[in-house]
Amino acid sequence: MATSAALALPPAAPPARPRVLLVGTALATAGTLMAFAGMIGVYLEQRHGVLAQGGTWLPDGTKIPLTPGSIGMATMALSAVTIWWAVDAVGRNDRQFAYLALGLTIMFGLAVINSTTFLYTQMGLAVNTKTGLLIYAITGAHLAMIVAGLVYAAVMTFRTLGGEYHGRDREGLVAAALFWYATIAVYAVIWYAIYVTK
Amino acid sequence: MAVTETLPESVDAASATDASPTPSQPTGLAAVLGSGDHKVIGRLYIATSLLLGALVVGLGEAFGIEGIKPETLQIFGDDSVFQLFTLARVGTIFFLALPLVIGVALVVVPLQVGSHTVAFPRAAAASYWGWLLGSGLLLASYAMNGGPYGGSSDGVNLWIAAMGMLVLSVLTAAVSLATTVIALRPAGLHLSRVPLFAWSVLVAALMWILTLPVLFGLIVLMYVDHRHAGGIYNGSPVALYPSIQWLFRNPQIYVVAIPVLGFFGDVLQTVSGARMKLRGVAQAAIGAFGLLSFGAFLVAPTKAALESYLVIGMSLLAVLPLLALAGSVADVFRTGSFKLRAGVLYAVSSFLILLLTVAAGALGSIPSVLDAPPKAGIGDSIFFVGVSHGALLAAVIAGLGGVHWWATKVGRQPANEKLGMLAPLVLLLGAALTVIPDLVAGIVGDGFELYGDYRGGLAGTNGAVAAGIAIVGLGVLVAVLSFIPLFKRSDDAPADPWGGLTLEWLAPTPPPLANFADDLPVITSAEPLIDLREEK
Repeated sequence: MATSAALALPPAAPPARPRVLLVGTALATAGTLMAFAGMIGVYLEQRHGVLAQGGTWLPDGTKIPLTPGSIGMATMALSAVTIWWAVDAVGRNDRQFAYLALGLTIMFGLAVINSTTFLYTQMGLAVNTKTGLLIYAITGAHLAMIVAGLVYAAVMTFRTLGGEYHGRDREGLVAAALFWYATIAVYAVIWYAIYVTK
Repeated sequence: MAVTETLPESVDAASATDASPTPSQPTGLAAVLGSGDHKVIGRLYIATSLLLGALVVGLGEAFGIEGIKPETLQIFGDDSVFQLFTLARVGTIFFLALPLVIGVALVVVPLQVGSHTVAFPRAAAASYWGWLLGSGLLLASYAMNGGPYGGSSDGVNLWIAAMGMLVLSVLTAAVSLATTVIALRPAGLHLSRVPLFAWSVLVAALMWILTLPVLFGLIVLMYVDHRHAGGIYNGSPVALYPSIQWLFRNPQIYVVAIPVLGFFGDVLQTVSGARMKLRGVAQAAIGAFGLLSFGAFLVAPTKAALESYLVIGMSLLAVLPLLALAGSVADVFRTGSFKLRAGVLYAVSSFLILLLTVAAGALGSIPSVLDAPPKAGIGDSIFFVGVSHGALLAAVIAGLGGVHWWATKVGRQPANEKLGMLAPLVLLLGAALTVIPDLVAGIVGDGFELYGDYRGGLAGTNGAVAAGIAIVGLGVLVAVLSFIPLFKRSDDAPADPWGGLTLEWLAPTPPPLANFADDLPVITSAEPLIDLREEK
């Protein structure tokens, strides 16, 4: 049914611009990854310095429970599937599933923000310590990245609702998905480097 | 369940874009303040960077004079000397060298790749206004007794925020420029056929995108640290400057000067009027130099890190791409002719200063060469002030040369050629006098980058540095005077005063809003204008 309906419609116009948005997003994403690489590099170097001198990295009385971080990681992994689903659905001109998939992605992103802020309340970690400063700065910056990714995905959702993207031109959604995959990748590194190995 | 909808109205709207009339050229203040035209944004960058650059050069000159007799000449008080020193260092990159290069690139690169616009024009405009605001806030932070070594907590916070804004603005411009070269080329203009200047801007923009975010990440950490008296820098403004020193040292400082190579290759090939047979070598050399200028891994430049085999190897290897580029450019004169133009002098001057700098950086990377003063780490040597000044001055000379060479695209007429011949020679002399004494002082072992009272380097050689900075200032002034014709209207200004080979010379003078009056020719080689002449 979908195929016959598609054949009945006039052909889609070619993309107005040659993947400018996708290239620009890829470059901006690369820059964002480097910013996190720098911050996490400083974190690992500082932690190594403390441990090499026989010290303890986490201040007394603080703990980083693994459960919220792991649930966040699983949620981010699920969102990787849903954003791929959204891109695929738009590719098949299946707008209803596209909306559903994008809505789920946004919901998963909000859930990770929620789990991270919950983790903050459980850690009991003061920000004016070396450990606290680095953990709050890195995870806080990642929350900002999640918000940026959600806004980007939402804008692309609205554009899809408006009919701007469809099966033959889904550049905006692919660009939003690319940024979102990078957001997931950064979370995976944070999860292992901070939440698991502490 | 699948619902297939390709809305007919969206197809119509997309199809109608081709038939829409070309937007009219805005006039008056709207043409400047609200413009997304890459040429307007580039001109704003160029003009503002030269204005702010005058402040930086003046500050550098004052430091040079104080360095002659630091015990008796008290231009700066002991409580402000460190702060203003950091202003001079940061300002040379973010007020002068980077925005000047970005300005020229914003004007020229879209024209060179045959695009009607820069990618993300509103983002490019936002990058300029963000940079301008960031520059103003940075100056305000120093006025508030902020910045590194500052006494005002709010001023220090403002400095950190302003630095963040400057870095983000530069990154935005870099994304616009890189995307333009990657995605907005016409059919047939493969990356291997892109003009060398546009290619070098692409390489530079990619390196900025890969390294400056690391600085931004540090800025985030600095802000949280200072705001909450955290444990890395203990909330101290004294630690701010050392934590960003890697930005001023080789190999990282070379990223500012990558477009020098493209300018050098482009100008010399154009005056030769010949095809470049070794274009692949030239492009590979520029790319290799870009890769070897990646210095973000030196975020915490300990003595061990600076003396690692990686840094030594990168510094030594960085000389080779410059020699390879020089060889491939020289090869064009086997078939082409040579005409002495001001652009050639600018190109050769900037290249020579960069070659001197990179060779010195290679020499200084060998651990036993630099005789660091007692209590100083090898990274604190004034030698590296010389290296960074060399790279930045090379970028400034190339930036000024770019304005001169592409004057009919930046402005309304060609620049004054006689003054244009003089300016690069003055700049070359001034740059050599500024750079070489600090290199010598670093090698013979006298010179912290910073002392309690500013007196890095040798007292005798500091006199040469002061003279050098003054001559650089004079050279910039001569160059600016040569640009006066750019502001004058003319009905018969040539579109292509140099017998150009690449697409920007097809654009009228000054280029209209959409850059090209006629359809572009089919691109079948890296020198499409030679193809056009041969067809005729």
